[in-house]
Amino acid sequence: MGPIAVNRIYAALSALVLAFVVLPLVAIVWVSFFANKILSFPPTGYTLSWYARAWAQDAFRDGFITSVQTALCAVVISLALGVPASLALVRYRFPGRDAIQTLLLAPMIVPGIVGGAALFMAFIELEVLFDVEIAGTLPGLLVAHGLIALPWTVRLVTASLAGTNRSFEEAAASLGAGPLTVFFRVTLPLIKPALVAAALFSFVISFIDLEKSIFLVGPGRTTLQIALVSYLEWNLDSTVAAVAAVQILIIGALLLVSDRYARLARAF
Amino acid sequence: MVEQEYRELNEAAMTSSTATMPLPAPRAREVRRRSPAFGLAAPATLFVVLALLGPLALMFRYSLNRFVPGQMMVEALTLANYQKFFADSFYQDVLFTTLWVSGVSTILCLLAGFPVAYFLVRQASAKWKGRLLLLIILPLLMGNAVRTAAWMVILGDKGMFNAAIGTLGLAPMKLMYTPLAVIIGLVSVMLPFMIVTLQSVLEGIDENLESAAASLGAGHLTILKRVVLPLALPGLLAGTMLCFILSMNAYATPVLIGGPSFHMMAPTVYQQVAKAMNWPFGAALAFVLMAVTLVLTTAANMLVQRHYRRWSE
Repeated sequence: MGPIAVNRIYAALSALVLAFVVLPLVAIVWVSFFANKILSFPPTGYTLSWYARAWAQDAFRDGFITSVQTALCAVVISLALGVPASLALVRYRFPGRDAIQTLLLAPMIVPGIVGGAALFMAFIELEVLFDVEIAGTLPGLLVAHGLIALPWTVRLVTASLAGTNRSFEEAAASLGAGPLTVFFRVTLPLIKPALVAAALFSFVISFIDLEKSIFLVGPGRTTLQIALVSYLEWNLDSTVAAVAAVQILIIGALLLVSDRYARLARAF
Repeated sequence: MVEQEYRELNEAAMTSSTATMPLPAPRAREVRRRSPAFGLAAPATLFVVLALLGPLALMFRYSLNRFVPGQMMVEALTLANYQKFFADSFYQDVLFTTLWVSGVSTILCLLAGFPVAYFLVRQASAKWKGRLLLLIILPLLMGNAVRTAAWMVILGDKGMFNAAIGTLGLAPMKLMYTPLAVIIGLVSVMLPFMIVTLQSVLEGIDENLESAAASLGAGHLTILKRVVLPLALPGLLAGTMLCFILSMNAYATPVLIGGPSFHMMAPTVYQQVAKAMNWPFGAALAFVLMAVTLVLTTAANMLVQRHYRRWSE
């Protein structure tokens, strides 16, 4: 077998695997335009009416709004907690630094269902103790979503901080800038690409979360992913395909923007 | 020596996939200065402790409680929930299904992922490598619900696949609600992780080693077996473990594509905790799942390490 034949085999296998990964998404976007009343192949024609119908469904519309709210808050939480922590991890050496770094990345490693179940039990325990409502409320959801977004922020921002030139910060400090001025005028602008990427990534991670949220949604407060799954348990039609297509469009756009700031492949 | 080298390679591989970034040592001056580091790291640390470690500890305590129907949970210190798991053949079957489905999916991921990673590193131009990697990662972040819905469109009884083979005159196949469909769904979730991990490890292997082997007359398969695979082993292992862990904990795919009579561990945990409200048993299930995953991945790691030593001697 000559080297050219070998190369061709690799190229062909890669094309097959890529098709396997991408094809399902193409299929569901295609299906969202079908005119067929009941989902079947081939299409009898094309229509946009499923999109209007999806938006008219309370579960999808409310779920979408809740998901966007939750994801925006998750971005704020993960940046507010993650950026200072990343600064501490990269710029200082202190006892327990490695342990803290491991801990901050742990929410990525603990399985979603296990972490979700544990958080659910803790919330109910707190509800009983303090007579407040947590599970099924927005704050409860935010704790879970802040938690899953945090490790991605820490990972992207520590990587970026480790790669910046310290001389700029030292120069500013030697010219009399206080630590806060140095941070806001020098450090932040230097790591801005990582911050943008971390914000977009946190949004996406929160928006698509299913396993943790499934324990924490309540009546009247459902995220889009949960609405999709409960719908899919009983029906599969072009309405759900339209929702999926909108989600693919939104997340695809966010990730493409994010990729301009920090290579996505490096986040894994 | 070899072990040390292995460990370093392994760490390098884990860095690119799941674990921590290596951080440069801070300069000595800052170490002596009273450090604000604690204040900076404290909020995030406290948050993770309260929202993750605390609840996990609480859940472990609950797994030792007793479940009394109608009363939910009675304070106790018993291993009855764990015993129930290992005595009840239904739950053993659930674990067994989870294990073999995860094992098969992981092996398929390895087989399908390696050629792509190798192609990206050795053959694709820099521009295309970036584009293809993006194309591989994008579907991963579309969410399990959407991706699973997409597979339902393809694999359903009147789905795209059956419509396609129907035009060729073939009889429709029953795909939905079969283990095969679950495996297909899981592989598509995990493949991007495998490809990205393998790609970053292959990136670190000097291409000249392969050229040297080829110039000495080795065929491509020999080069793979004697040069590339031994060097990529830590990465293969990291990718394999990551995929295995992900599929052991899969939720959406088994629920929606596997159907109501197909049971895997993560959906069973959810069912016990949120539906049956049997918290002690649900908690025990969650810890059995984590323990089995941990033991198997650690064992695999040790086994491969021993193998690696023999290989490189």
